[in-house]
Amino acid sequence: MTRGRHARGMMMKRQANSEAWLDAPGIWRGLLMMMPVAAFTVAFGLAFGVAAVHHGLADWEAMLLSTLVFSAPSQFAALDMWHSSMPLLALATVTVAIHTRHMLMSAALYPWLHTLGRGRQFAMVLLMSDSNWAMALGQYHRGERNLGILLGSGIALWGAWILGTLVGVTFGGGISQPERYGLDVIMLCFFLMMLFGGRPRLVMAMPWLAATLAALAAYHWLPPYLHIMMGGLAGGLVAVVMPRNRAGESAS
Amino acid sequence: MNSPSLWHALLAIGLLAAIAYGSRVLGLLVMSRVPLGPKVQRFVDAMSTSVLIAIVAPLIVYGDGGARLAALATTLVAILWRSPLLAIGLGMVAAAAWRW
Repeated sequence: MTRGRHARGMMMKRQANSEAWLDAPGIWRGLLMMMPVAAFTVAFGLAFGVAAVHHGLADWEAMLLSTLVFSAPSQFAALDMWHSSMPLLALATVTVAIHTRHMLMSAALYPWLHTLGRGRQFAMVLLMSDSNWAMALGQYHRGERNLGILLGSGIALWGAWILGTLVGVTFGGGISQPERYGLDVIMLCFFLMMLFGGRPRLVMAMPWLAATLAALAAYHWLPPYLHIMMGGLAGGLVAVVMPRNRAGESAS
Repeated sequence: MNSPSLWHALLAIGLLAAIAYGSRVLGLLVMSRVPLGPKVQRFVDAMSTSVLIAIVAPLIVYGDGGARLAALATTLVAILWRSPLLAIGLGMVAAAAWRW
């Protein structure tokens, strides 16, 4: 979790494709790369803090949620059930459904992490959230192997999320409709940036089409929140069954 | 407003935290059982961006005009200038302006 894997990273240069390491400059670099998004995360955390106050949560409850759970969608979903007869089973079911995507996301990081020991692998995904996962994986596809990118960007978002929540619960009364200020589209915009800001690859056209259709179908007919997993699985499956020559083995 | 008792709230927060972290660990555990061949690589590669597609598709299709305008503005800026700050900022401004 600390630093100093650099030397080993150098020694293993021959297999640059599979070796991962972690050092302080990498963490710092990840932190800086995530700063623009972290600024928006503060605003988003603020929206959560405000909503929490409006739902009658104590300040410490909101802060503890943001610190330990660190996931906007499940925290917002939990607010609706936060009353004296809070149903824990329903809460757990909804949260599991929301978090199925994180299973796929950490699975996608596995090729990067697989040379580490199990304890280190588990530590690396501690602060994995949607946006820093997307950014770090994009860097990985461009040849980055320093896990500080993942960890540092996670630290930036985590800190921003906690800070935003703190500001929100402290000055909560002032803002009543976060959507009027465009706060609810931050995640949407960020993901679109991740998808189209790099080099969208043509081989992804079919998987993305399948993902869109599967997600919309699941959104329509399946219980809430499962559409993300369905879309992800559909996209992956289409990429596997596509003819080999069209599937661009020269990835990035 | 009726609030849950202290233990009830702590239990709920613990439950959420365990599920949130458990799902991240579970993905790694599943993958450690699967041999990393080219097919699995291709699956994981396409799956990772497809997850993002699956998140944004319903937001755009079932979102209001503000969300759609934000999506359009962000995508155009992302493709043309590749600046995250500008793309996300303009997206937010577009949504706020539409709803004014």
